[in-house]
Amino acid sequence: MTELTISTLPAAPLHVLEIWSNAASVAKRFKAAMGFALPATGRSGGNDALRLIRFEPTVWLVEGDTSALSGILSDGGAVTAIGGGIVRLRLSGRGWRTLLMEGGVFDAESPTFAAGCSAATIIDHVNVRLHVVDETTCVAYVPLSFSQGLLHFWEQAAESLVG
Amino acid sequence: MMRIPCPHCGPRAQSEFIYERTVDSVVPLDAPSQEAMTKLFTRNNPRGVDEEIWRHTYGCRAWMVLTRHRVTNEISECRAIGPEALP
Amino acid sequence: MTTFRFDGTTYTAQAGDTLAAALLRNGIGLVGRSFKYHRPRGIMTAGVEEPNALVTVGEGGRAEPNTRATDVFVYEGLVAKSQNRWPNLSFDVGAVLGLAAPALSAGFYYKTFFGSAKKWMFYEYFIRKAAGLGNAPTLADPDRFSQRAAFCDVLVVGAGPAGMQAALDAAESGKRVILVEQDNILAPSLLRDRQEQDADWINATAERIRAAGGVILTRTTASGYWEHDLVTLTQRISEPGQIPAQGVAQRLWHVRAGQVILATGSIERPMAFAHNDRPGVMLSQAVRTYVHRFGVVPGKRVVIATNNDDAYKSAQALKDAGAHIVAILDARPAPAGANSGHRVYNDAVPLSTKGARHCLKSVSALVDGKAMDWDADLLAVSGGFTPVVHLHMQAGGTLDWNEDAQAFIPASSRQNVTTIGGAAEPQAIFQMVPVSSPKKSFIDFQNDVTLADVDLAWAEGYRSVEHLKRYTTLGMATDQGKLSNMAALGRLAEKQGVAIPEAGLTTFRPPYTPVTMGLIAGASAKDAGAHVRRLALYDLHAAKNPIWQPLGYWFRPRAYPTGGETLAQAALREAKAVRNNVGMTDVSTLAKFEVSGPDAAAFLEIICATTVNKLAVGRGRYTFMLREDGFVFDDGTVWRLDKNRYLLTSSTGGADRMATHISYVRQFLCPHLRVSAVNVQEHYAGIAVAGPQAKAVLATLIGEEPPRHMSTVPAAIAGVPVIILAASYSGERAFEIYVDASQAEAVWAACEAQVNEAGGALYGLEAMEFLRIEKGHLVVGGEVDGRMTPHDLALDKMLNKAGGYIGASGLARPALSEAGRRQLVGLEAIAGDIPEGAMLIPSEGASPQGHVSAAAFRIIAGGSVALGQLTDGFSRHGEILIASSPTRGQQARVRVVAPHFYDAAGERYRD
Repeated sequence: MTELTISTLPAAPLHVLEIWSNAASVAKRFKAAMGFALPATGRSGGNDALRLIRFEPTVWLVEGDTSALSGILSDGGAVTAIGGGIVRLRLSGRGWRTLLMEGGVFDAESPTFAAGCSAATIIDHVNVRLHVVDETTCVAYVPLSFSQGLLHFWEQAAESLVG
Repeated sequence: MMRIPCPHCGPRAQSEFIYERTVDSVVPLDAPSQEAMTKLFTRNNPRGVDEEIWRHTYGCRAWMVLTRHRVTNEISECRAIGPEALP
Repeated sequence: MTTFRFDGTTYTAQAGDTLAAALLRNGIGLVGRSFKYHRPRGIMTAGVEEPNALVTVGEGGRAEPNTRATDVFVYEGLVAKSQNRWPNLSFDVGAVLGLAAPALSAGFYYKTFFGSAKKWMFYEYFIRKAAGLGNAPTLADPDRFSQRAAFCDVLVVGAGPAGMQAALDAAESGKRVILVEQDNILAPSLLRDRQEQDADWINATAERIRAAGGVILTRTTASGYWEHDLVTLTQRISEPGQIPAQGVAQRLWHVRAGQVILATGSIERPMAFAHNDRPGVMLSQAVRTYVHRFGVVPGKRVVIATNNDDAYKSAQALKDAGAHIVAILDARPAPAGANSGHRVYNDAVPLSTKGARHCLKSVSALVDGKAMDWDADLLAVSGGFTPVVHLHMQAGGTLDWNEDAQAFIPASSRQNVTTIGGAAEPQAIFQMVPVSSPKKSFIDFQNDVTLADVDLAWAEGYRSVEHLKRYTTLGMATDQGKLSNMAALGRLAEKQGVAIPEAGLTTFRPPYTPVTMGLIAGASAKDAGAHVRRLALYDLHAAKNPIWQPLGYWFRPRAYPTGGETLAQAALREAKAVRNNVGMTDVSTLAKFEVSGPDAAAFLEIICATTVNKLAVGRGRYTFMLREDGFVFDDGTVWRLDKNRYLLTSSTGGADRMATHISYVRQFLCPHLRVSAVNVQEHYAGIAVAGPQAKAVLATLIGEEPPRHMSTVPAAIAGVPVIILAASYSGERAFEIYVDASQAEAVWAACEAQVNEAGGALYGLEAMEFLRIEKGHLVVGGEVDGRMTPHDLALDKMLNKAGGYIGASGLARPALSEAGRRQLVGLEAIAGDIPEGAMLIPSEGASPQGHVSAAAFRIIAGGSVALGQLTDGFSRHGEILIASSPTRGQQARVRVVAPHFYDAAGERYRD
């Protein structure tokens, strides 16, 4: 059996940050204030207190304390709460890459999909957002209404994973 | 199932995308009434290359214009659409 | 040693045996009856192309019909049954059909369909019993099927010597490689040809491929080649009928490859001569496989018929195994085969076979123009080799004609695919023409198609090979013409007087070999085929054991019956609670969008056909949206939460469509706007509290004066932040409470406690429907059916006079506001209950002038009322019509009225 555990993380405040204009100056202000750059598409940035994961060209998923963001954005963008609609499922163990290939269409087995990478894709008909935390941990952000169904699908698929 | 070269995410499976319409049927917001209806109801539908609007709905959610050969499915170009974005 | 059962008798097999090898090992030559004529048939091949040895393997839900005995490996306890025979294999009543063979000649079905219906009815009874292959299992398959994606730089199909070498080269140059082999061993052709050094080479090569990171999948067939180098693989994890160790019987792989290398080899061709379908006639390479790989010698006295060199290897294999080679019939002139050490007859073409008790007795041939015959119990034939070009053709490739091999070989392709090995360079053969009795010379063994059938189709005017295929059924069923297509093409070309390449080709379609339906369904085989979307408050509802109602992918409570109530009783009680007191319901599934930014109002005035920018902070309004062609496609409410922040709601059923529409308008049409439109449908759970007591309940919950109708305030319930929207869909004073879904349970519990305290009730979708119909509120998908304009629904007074919204130009078309359109009306019954979906007619037999879109009852006063669409309905109030539903056998006399049956003045919203 491939080493793999699936756990549901506790609900947390999640937000989306969208930049609609003056992106370069917002990015500059952000880096100056936060100490890290707004991550590129398919990447995450930050730390445990504030992490931004970019899944869309103009939108970042924000995990953590958003209190400083409005000031940084000024009139260049907005922050909107979305955490209630998302369940975070943590896949731990080396088997997570194989698991994500089940019912999937995205190359989660590629070595370039490494720690700090993100991707949105569809798995077993569910729109899933993935963030690679480290080589043995990947967190999936799953729509609440589909989370029970996908969890069931993954638990069943995990049973039959070999090698 | 085609492989679509998303300008933001790289090549991805067609099942992450949704087809919207051809570029020639886009109705601009300020189009005069007659032009708007012509765009909406009169399509070229060529047997060959056409420009199509797709959305990476189950990926980065961005819109793009694909230049696709309708017979061979060869995608010669995929151009990003939408507000200016950081790299 | 392994034991298995065939037709009820237990036999033993050796490790590694296919079922076919095990049957031959046990001396069983007769394994099935042919499709149309019930002719006795034996094992003919050693691969997936097997046309005859079709068996049902497994029992109950695991039973797999039409499995090739050559394509299933024996496991302990395997159960197989022969097919298409009655009462048993060796005595089959249907075989008498064989005596009346011409009755089922080419085009039989077509001709009978065109004959009298009575004649067809007569034939049908017998044909349904006699024709066809195995029976589909009637029980559900207990096993699971997996679908998995894979990506690689190079996919190699076929682990023969060429394929293994290609995989090794690619893997050792650092590429991601997948090598697939449909057999359960690598390089089976090397084992068949038994070259001493090969076993070591196979093992060493496989080791090196794996060491370089390559993946090798055996028992895996590349069954389909799709767009952009996507190849589907079907992997057998357990054998047909076998209980899978980890629950998963098969896996469907979707492999996206950078490059595909096809090393698929070739399939040996049979020869056409009389009674060439008799058990004991086998393909030459198959004989060699049974001798070398399985250690089974299928005959003692063997005649070999060939037009090439390869069959001599089989002769040697048989001789070494102790069989007697009676004669080699070589179609080629001398000196072909001269130094083989066997008795070779040149210019020799087989004529016919004779048999007894389903065994081969003798073979006759025309040798240099003279008939000769030999006693034999096995006839091994080799009519040449057909390259396996299926995947190349599925990829959109073209073929070249190889004259030496008399075969099509892969040419160019628009996809990134190349063919190597035997499939690209088939062995040279000698072209031969069948010489004898076409009526008994089978070319398609699986469909019982003879040369005579091809001749008949030709005589009846079928010229195209595609028509020939359909008329004769040639090339259909499990083998899909793998053995027969070239023979048929050859005969057709002969008739046309052209070369084979000019006769045309039928289309190669996936799958290459049969695929189990469950594999295509994947994990969905066990459920409805899609995930059910679960409410955030699912557990709280489920504890009350409601009647659930599917709504798109959602399941929502339809009613909460108590004490043995029916649905109708529960719904009426719940609706009365709302009218008389207070009720609460879950409205979480509504579409919701949070729209922020300096241009938020401007953006919303493009999406919505009503004004938005006049809203003060803290106020909301009803709104609706049009398609570009001017028809209404959704409705909802819009609320100004803050200076630059709005909340837009719209219908549950249209939520995904609206999300796409909003994104299209924002990203594609208006990239310049300073706005962020975020889908918050699932972020907020929604609870509606409605009824005369709703305001008092809300006041207790939030500890302050609730907002007036169409106003919004932020508040807290049970310590959880909420947004209160004072909106009503029931006709009563009502509130919608929106809360972060992860904290919704506490808010629901607090609300429920207060509602119970006030003597109220929970209500479900059924009561909600009663309430909204009585009040005359629209529902998207009901009254708003995609064919109604704002004029038709009496919404035109709300249109934004400044225009600029999506659909304004479409709506300006005169036909969308002309007389004669269907318009929204109310209907009240004079006699009878109004059937939902009924057509509206002025009198019996008249043409319909509209229909009933939703029907209910006055909740307090009683009496059947409905909403409907009626031609010019606005000006027809007072008219009496018939609402007639012939499909339900119900009708009612109705009066046309305004679509408001309750509080038309809206006084109940006022405090």
